[in-house]
Amino acid sequence: MGVKIISAGFDIEGFHRLQVYLAHEGYQALRKVLTSMTPSQVTEEVIKSNLRGLGGAGFPAGRKWSFVPKDSPKPKYLVINADEGEPGTFKDRLILLNTPHMLIEGILIAAYAIGAAKVYIYIRGEYTEPAKVIGQALEEVRANNYLGQHILGTDFSLDVVIHRGAGAYICGEETALLESLEGKKGWPRLKPPFPALVGLFDCPTVINNVETIAFLPAIINRGWKWFADLGTERNGGTRLFCVSGSVNRPGVYELPMGTPLREIIYEQAGGIKGDKSLKAVIPGGSSAPVLSRDQIDVKMDFDSLMAAGSMAGSGGIIVMDEDTCMPHALWVLTRFYAHESCGQCTPCREGTGWMEKVLRRILDGTGRPEDPENLLRIAHNIMGNTICPLGDAAALPVISFLEKFANEFDFHISQHRCDIEGV
Amino acid sequence: MSLSFSEQAKKEIEKILKTYPDKRSATLPILHLAQREFGAVSAEVEQLVADSLDLPIIKVREVLTFYTLLKKEAGGRYHLQVCRNLSCTMSGGQRLLDFISQRLALAPGETSADGKFTLTTVECLGACQLAPLMQLNDRYLGELTEDKIEAILAEPEKWV
Amino acid sequence: MPTVTIDGQQIGVPEGTTIIQAAEMLDIHIPRYCYHPGLSIAGSCRMCLVQVEKTPKLQIACYTPVSEGMAVHTNTEQVVKARQAILEFLLLNHPVDCPVCDQAGECWLQEYYMEYGLYDSALLEDKVRKRKAVILGPHIVLDTERCILCSRCLRFCDEITKTHELGIFERGDRSEIWLYPGKVLDNKYCGNVADICPVGSLTDRDFRFICRVWYLEDVNSICPCCSTGCNIIVDYNLKRPHAAKGRRLMRLRPRYNPEVNKWWMCDEGRYGFKFVDASDRILDPARKENDKLKPIPWEEALGRVARAIRALVDEGRQEQIGIITSRWSTNEELYMARRLFVEQLGVKGLDHRVPGNIVGQDDGFLIRADKSPNSKGAELIAVHHPEGMDATQIVQAASQGKIKLLYVLHHDLAEAFGNKLIQKVSQNTELLVYQGTNFNQTSDQADVVLPAAAWPEKEGTFTNYAGRVQKINEAFAPPGRAWPDGKIFVELASRLGAPFRYICAEDIFREMADRVEPFKGMSYSSLGLTGSLVSSQGE
Repeated sequence: MGVKIISAGFDIEGFHRLQVYLAHEGYQALRKVLTSMTPSQVTEEVIKSNLRGLGGAGFPAGRKWSFVPKDSPKPKYLVINADEGEPGTFKDRLILLNTPHMLIEGILIAAYAIGAAKVYIYIRGEYTEPAKVIGQALEEVRANNYLGQHILGTDFSLDVVIHRGAGAYICGEETALLESLEGKKGWPRLKPPFPALVGLFDCPTVINNVETIAFLPAIINRGWKWFADLGTERNGGTRLFCVSGSVNRPGVYELPMGTPLREIIYEQAGGIKGDKSLKAVIPGGSSAPVLSRDQIDVKMDFDSLMAAGSMAGSGGIIVMDEDTCMPHALWVLTRFYAHESCGQCTPCREGTGWMEKVLRRILDGTGRPEDPENLLRIAHNIMGNTICPLGDAAALPVISFLEKFANEFDFHISQHRCDIEGV
Repeated sequence: MSLSFSEQAKKEIEKILKTYPDKRSATLPILHLAQREFGAVSAEVEQLVADSLDLPIIKVREVLTFYTLLKKEAGGRYHLQVCRNLSCTMSGGQRLLDFISQRLALAPGETSADGKFTLTTVECLGACQLAPLMQLNDRYLGELTEDKIEAILAEPEKWV
Repeated sequence: MPTVTIDGQQIGVPEGTTIIQAAEMLDIHIPRYCYHPGLSIAGSCRMCLVQVEKTPKLQIACYTPVSEGMAVHTNTEQVVKARQAILEFLLLNHPVDCPVCDQAGECWLQEYYMEYGLYDSALLEDKVRKRKAVILGPHIVLDTERCILCSRCLRFCDEITKTHELGIFERGDRSEIWLYPGKVLDNKYCGNVADICPVGSLTDRDFRFICRVWYLEDVNSICPCCSTGCNIIVDYNLKRPHAAKGRRLMRLRPRYNPEVNKWWMCDEGRYGFKFVDASDRILDPARKENDKLKPIPWEEALGRVARAIRALVDEGRQEQIGIITSRWSTNEELYMARRLFVEQLGVKGLDHRVPGNIVGQDDGFLIRADKSPNSKGAELIAVHHPEGMDATQIVQAASQGKIKLLYVLHHDLAEAFGNKLIQKVSQNTELLVYQGTNFNQTSDQADVVLPAAAWPEKEGTFTNYAGRVQKINEAFAPPGRAWPDGKIFVELASRLGAPFRYICAEDIFREMADRVEPFKGMSYSSLGLTGSLVSSQGE
């Protein structure tokens, strides 16, 4: 059923080893790129494939590369964002553990396309095992001339360094990640300039998500058209949907872009746990506005979800059943953003903590009738006024939960208790 | 001030410094290394790190207090880090946290008197398919149940 | 040169000008906290959000460069709402205890709240508690609860002094400005962080709780503590005479001069004013009687000095007169000394070059080794006679009895030459006159003491090391019966038969500008607020 590109490797024994990967077309795409394609042909191929940035923003990957100045006298960098941290998202960890060579091959292709001589993989600090696996894979390719000087006998040379984070969600934001890589706190930078012009060490830099890069070998091997045709009009290929929460079979499901959410929940993930009814779904990681159960026929691609008032984001689908207390769920998410706000700019630093306290008070039974309106006001005051998207990410759940599940908040406030048993 | 990096660590630092065009970028790798070597980044260790980076120590302190994985004081031998984010909470994560807390008589943030266990809560660990989930030192332990936790607490060395 | 329209007014500005700078050129003030023209752009407080046409989101004015044809609105409903929101956020964890906060009256939270406050508090939650009233070093106290994390102080220590004392620890609403444990904020410029702190978080230990700012008055002046001549504002209090035990001079603050000190001043200068209100100020003219100073009327004091000088001059014994002027005197005073003693009376033993003004080294920023404010002026006005003795020779001669009358202005010769020598001077001269602000070992030896005004008590100019002539202004009158040097010279001159016709300091400056080449063409009005360079630059 369906095409599996990355996750096909999840089921192959020993796929993280070079020999096994080589036996499955491994590094064929690299050879093709280095021997028969110019960097701009590679970029062109990726642009036409409609590959989107799968870290969350959904920006067309090839277009992002094309912003890097071709004639820059400074070195260019490729940075792999493996700082997976969006709640409900767990695909990159599986790629790092199971298909590290697919990622490395993708890195080589992308570095060739943008002319980078050095790559940093910024991997979240908690991922010690994935860091070890990718480290071993890098050793293997170095030993076999897929990495290092004069790769496969060509003029192309590349150095890849693993850089471990140390526990900060904000470093998933591109420029916070760059600051962190430069040895500083993860305080996002003011933009513009964007990293494509002034990035790591003030040099042109492309930052791509793990999954995005891992699709590259397949795109090169089978052509842009094949990949583009898998998805919807402007969303090429498949993506790894991460399903968690109240489903029978939580896990990662690789499906074409645009697969209906209903199919993912009920067919792939086996439906709602305990035959309960569905209440709500967060479709794209914790920052994505929540969908009510009557919205699950939405197609899961960037454009359709945006039209539905939410976001495809990082592909993290959190399913909530009828017994989920929505004020509690929102408090958990808001506490997360308050914990992870970097503290740099005023609205996010102060607003996230404030929203968390108000929600906590509602859960404690001392909510006031004006609280929901006040929460909405705070959220709207954060929206659009911050340095980086974390402010919006914290505000969007608050707004969507309050708009769609107002009755639950009102119940807590008027009855001083939860109307759901057993939370 | 007798504290210094081991010879091996010094070599490793040399190697780390070579992977970046400037010294400051080696802050996190060297802090990780220092924490591994000394168990925590005490003020003395912090000074060592600052010296090896040629950085004002305040810049190291800013980093040290920003990132949750960096510790100024060593915790217990077994560090239980229970996820408190949404998918885990929905799968009973809070109940399991309460259970561990009660079994160890530790509130989150505390270390047992014998220095064996430290209990903390953490945000999403990025393995929600395994909810409810915790990290025992570096190891991810998912699909937790009370029985499984009993087994882990009884012989944590087997699960690390 | 892009042209931008801000609130309907057009202006052409240099490439790279930000909206906040362009607005300033149009006299439009955009509220801000983290922005400071002397520091890098943080863009973090978000107070300066403005509306830029054809841009969906509000933009921060401190960071956004203007571009050709850009249209900016700084006061639309959307902008005002954003400002209100930011203020509400900033006050969320800020203690609203203004009545007990020393910043009250010059706090930018208060200032903007008057305009953009919501007034009805929506806050029911407890505030985040942090550390309060912590002494950071010799001059600064920190209240982290009042801090709005604008990071100006941190950037000052990173970028201006490059001493890196301050950091922001933790994250989110737990973020806190702090020193590294055990370190102190004691760089030579740390007083500036209290100036640039827009709220009551960093306050000056010397000033806090000394006087409410609304009782202060101010005048522009020049720091007299070294030859840099930092432009300053003198804040003084005469309205609450009981405050701070009668201290009148409350604090000095730097005043922007792009050519000299930008926005800054050093601590040595900032806190170097204590002698002005000290208890050892000389308040009365006095003469020595039985080894004790006895207050006498001005008439008597001036009469004694004038008669002694007149007697020597009339007998043609000018070489037995020694005058020690000072690099701490104004150009006007130095000029008068030259005019009176050298030109009119023919005294050759007049000089200002008392050793001891050089301490340490220039620091490459504002602190100069020459601790006197007017060495350059003294040099240009040629206070010493070309054929005459220098200060050291004059004092030596006086100690040997070759000089019978020594008239010392402001210098403690005991400090420069040792007390023994000055005792000998005292013994071997017929008259030792000391004119100064505070008692010292030299005044102790003097036969006649004349009480002089300190620099905030008079008007005049200093010429800094680079030849910039800058104006000091009178903040308050001298204490007791003290007079400015200029007035003492006028009174002396009239008793010596060579009357000056000056009514004010400006008259002296006008004459000096006419007669002393390097000052040619200058006037008080041409000096303006930031001074101007003497013509013989590079001398």
